[in-house]
Amino acid sequence: MNNSELQKMAKSVRKTVFEFKTRDGIGHLHSSLSPVDILVSLFYDDKTDFNHETDIVMFGKAHGSPSIYPILADTGYFPKDELEKYCRPGGILRLHSDWTIPGCHFVGGSLGNGIGYASGLAQAQPDKNIYIIMGDAELYEGSVWESLMYISHHNLKNLRIIIDRNGLGTIGETEKMLKLEPLVDKFQSFIGDVAEIDGHNYDSLRGVFSSRVSEDSGDGHLLKSKSPQVVIAKTTKGKGVSYMEGKWKYHTIVPSSEEDIKIGLENLS
Amino acid sequence: MTQRDTFISELFEIAKEDKDVILISVDMGASALDRWREELPEQFIWTGISEQHSINLAAGLSAAGKKVYLYFMAAWSARCFEQIRYSCSMANNPITILSNGVALGYAPAGPAHETNEDIAYMRSLLNIEIDCPASSTHVKELVKYSYENQKLRYIRLERKYDSRFDKISTPNGLGYSLVKGGLFGNPMRKEEPKIAVISYGYMLGRCLDVQDKFLNNNIEVSLYNMSKIKPSPLVKIKETFSDYNKIVTVEEQTLSGGFGSAVLEGMSDNNVQKPLLRIGLPERYIFENGDRDYHLDNNGLSVDSIYDKVFEFRNE
Repeated sequence: MNNSELQKMAKSVRKTVFEFKTRDGIGHLHSSLSPVDILVSLFYDDKTDFNHETDIVMFGKAHGSPSIYPILADTGYFPKDELEKYCRPGGILRLHSDWTIPGCHFVGGSLGNGIGYASGLAQAQPDKNIYIIMGDAELYEGSVWESLMYISHHNLKNLRIIIDRNGLGTIGETEKMLKLEPLVDKFQSFIGDVAEIDGHNYDSLRGVFSSRVSEDSGDGHLLKSKSPQVVIAKTTKGKGVSYMEGKWKYHTIVPSSEEDIKIGLENLS
Repeated sequence: MTQRDTFISELFEIAKEDKDVILISVDMGASALDRWREELPEQFIWTGISEQHSINLAAGLSAAGKKVYLYFMAAWSARCFEQIRYSCSMANNPITILSNGVALGYAPAGPAHETNEDIAYMRSLLNIEIDCPASSTHVKELVKYSYENQKLRYIRLERKYDSRFDKISTPNGLGYSLVKGGLFGNPMRKEEPKIAVISYGYMLGRCLDVQDKFLNNNIEVSLYNMSKIKPSPLVKIKETFSDYNKIVTVEEQTLSGGFGSAVLEGMSDNNVQKPLLRIGLPERYIFENGDRDYHLDNNGLSVDSIYDKVFEFRNE
């Protein structure tokens, strides 16, 4: 897909997420909109390294993981009508993704644990690439930094850590709560390969996700990197919905008024 | 040899043949570990003092097909309780936790190093098996059993154990077993109250001394070892305990939700309605100097103190 097609796909994913989230008003819509371009880049851009049949993408910030549901339905992991049953009795899709859902891994809902789990997956399976999408406010969990020390020491080069850097926690900006910056420096003190990019720009995403495939690797997709990689993807929480973008109060609010839903759907159409 | 070194040494022999066996040590030493580090470096992971990460890592390794054993000091199980619950129990990733130095085993290091409540909080987890071996014989059984039956497992290893139990059969097949019976064969004692004392681990030694004291005084007491805490081994126990008038549990734990509570639940679930006395540590952290035996002696768990409580309960 070219950039225009990728953007169109992302809009479609966001619209689907918006629809199933606002149907019953359950979950964290705001957090599910910011990582969509990252996922679309991985799954639909032929030039990025990710291969969903052989690699693993998982969420540390599982409250944003419903963003992957339309993509997994589209790639055949489960029927599309499951999207209509999101968080409803009888449906398989939950507020936090977990290992019972085809195409999903681990268990969602407790921050700071996915990265350690991902390090175990990566260490035990050096022939598999592991991608983990974490929230920036998840970085306050001390266990994250325990894991980073480990990942660095063992040079788990088949591990990619993607930070959905939308700049917001639950009740405000991360930099007002507890400063995370300078985040690049912090990560670089553990792992040399750190990139900070626009997480909604497909050229930028392609740049960090496509540069590391070994051309002569046996199965054609193994990362040629010499170290693990950290991608700090600067994103906008609530991306695509005009009145939600960057507004912290929407972390726990799903639009419910007729007017808000109408505007949201117009924005994403 | 300590229970810890026995376990690690036995596991080493299995690991030599199975490269998927991984041993993680946070930063805890053991003489048996040195051999792992030298001869099986690819199967030994030294994670440093990072219990939360270590459990998550172990869960990930397990999910990828490794047979993971993680060794740390028992007290740290509380620190990574969330990770055990979340990454192993909830996510269905079996690992074996070797929890060393349970209860007052690390005295005089103080309450931060001691686990007076770990039975209560660990048995609240789902999908977990909990074992409290009293002998090296049982530890060896657990090595084989844990390897052949991968499951989230919490093995409570005694830093010091009563070696008399190496000579006393402590089979784990049922999870509980008769250590030594009373005087029931004597028809002259037919009408006397019969007491069953149930304990585990290090406390079994003290209970054995208590039982000897009772038997020397011609008082009926039988001693049982309940080595498996979860799943409850107390199924189909009506026949076992129907001859007893009263039951006593003795534990090196505080009583809230601990060993005695587990026995009570098992009895209740099987409709065994007998008066039951729970003997354990007082509901406080012990900020006093002294080794393990000193603390037990001074906190209601001396042989004489246990004897007196059981005797009084018997005569009530």
